[in-house]
Formats: sequence, C-alpha cells, structure tokens
Amino acid sequence: MNTHDEDRIKHLLKQAMPPTGDTGPERDLWPAMLQRLDVQPGAPPWFDWALAGGLAVFAIVFPASIPVFLYYL
Amino acid sequence: MNTHPFLRAFLAGAFVPTLILPLLLLGSILIRLKFPIGPVERGLIFPMALVPSLWALWNMLWLYSHTRTHLAIGSHGAILPLLLMPCGAVLARRLGILAIGANGIVWFQSLHVSYALVAPMFLAALVAYYLGWKYIVGFLNRVLGIA
Repeated sequence: MNTHDEDRIKHLLKQAMPPTGDTGPERDLWPAMLQRLDVQPGAPPWFDWALAGGLAVFAIVFPASIPVFLYYL
Repeated sequence: MNTHPFLRAFLAGAFVPTLILPLLLLGSILIRLKFPIGPVERGLIFPMALVPSLWALWNMLWLYSHTRTHLAIGSHGAILPLLLMPCGAVLARRLGILAIGANGIVWFQSLHVSYALVAPMFLAALVAYYLGWKYIVGFLNRVLGIA
C-alpha cells in the first residue's frame, strides 16, 4: 500500500464517517464540580427538628417503646 | 464511580442496622443479666438476620425506582415499617416473644404495651425511619456516589 492509497482510504473513511459534532463541553466543568463538592448540606428544616423532638419526647414518656423500636431496627 | 451502583446501594442500606447490632447484642446481654425477663435471644433473630438485609434491599429498590417515582429517600424509608412491622410481629409471635393479651401486647414475656400505644408507636417508627433514611442513608448514598 503506497502513500496515495493511504490518503485515498483516509479520504473515503472521512466521507463515510462524518464528524458527529459532539466535541465535548463548551466550558470547563471542573470548577463547577469543585464548587459542588465544597457545598455544605443545609441545616435540617424546622419540620425535621420537630419530628426528632417529638420522637425523643415519646421515648422519654414511654420508655417501654425503646426495646420494641430496637427490635425493628 | 459508575460501577456496581446496586452493590453500593446494598452496602449503604445495610450500614445503619449493622452498626447498631453490636449495641443491641450488648444491651440484650446486660438486660438478661440484670432483669429476669423472657427469651431475649430469640428476639435478636429478626433484627440481626433480617433487618439489615431488608434495609439493603430497600435502598437498592430506591436506586432502581427513584428516577421514575422521584420519591425522596426519607419518604421511601418511611414506607419500610409498613412491611417490617407486620413481618416482625408475625415472627415474634411465632418465636414466643410477643403475646397478644386482653389489654395489650406483651413483649419478651414482661414488657406490656397497651393497645392505645400501638398506633402512636407505629407513627413514631415511621418518623424514626423517615429521619434515619433521610439523613443517614441519604448521606451514605451521597458519599458512595449513588444519590
């Protein structure tokens, strides 16, 4: 196979498989990834605090429920 | 981190009950030594053998389904007691650690729980599971890259 044949095959291959146009992201994604990794999760909403408080009060008022809870955990 | 997401979901789900198991075992030994109560050892079968696997499978189910259901992890976890509680009660009844009396349920042949407390306890279990799944399992899922 000479150089002419190689060039011809390259040309034919390029014709058969045109560029997809998907050349990757337009901007650098790494800073956004770092920013996302640095974000601390927000504080729990008041509703979850209220639920946790209610649960604690329930366990204090009805301590007999604690072994039953542990059985299901 | 795109490989084996279901294996990671299994591990994240099993984490919490597995961590609590030694404490549960220690607590049962101490209770057994201190108080003359019923068959505590039989009461460990459900939490030690079944609950960790059920948590793990439930987390795998969440991973499989949440792209379609968009159900938050806390809400998904809060559904689990609906399955666990009847299963646990049936097993406890079979093992002789739960007796149904006229005024309430007797656990471990000594712990009396009145019927009036059953519904609040069930609600409390839903709350505990909601919080546990939202904050602990959710955190583990994020750490393992599946949430």
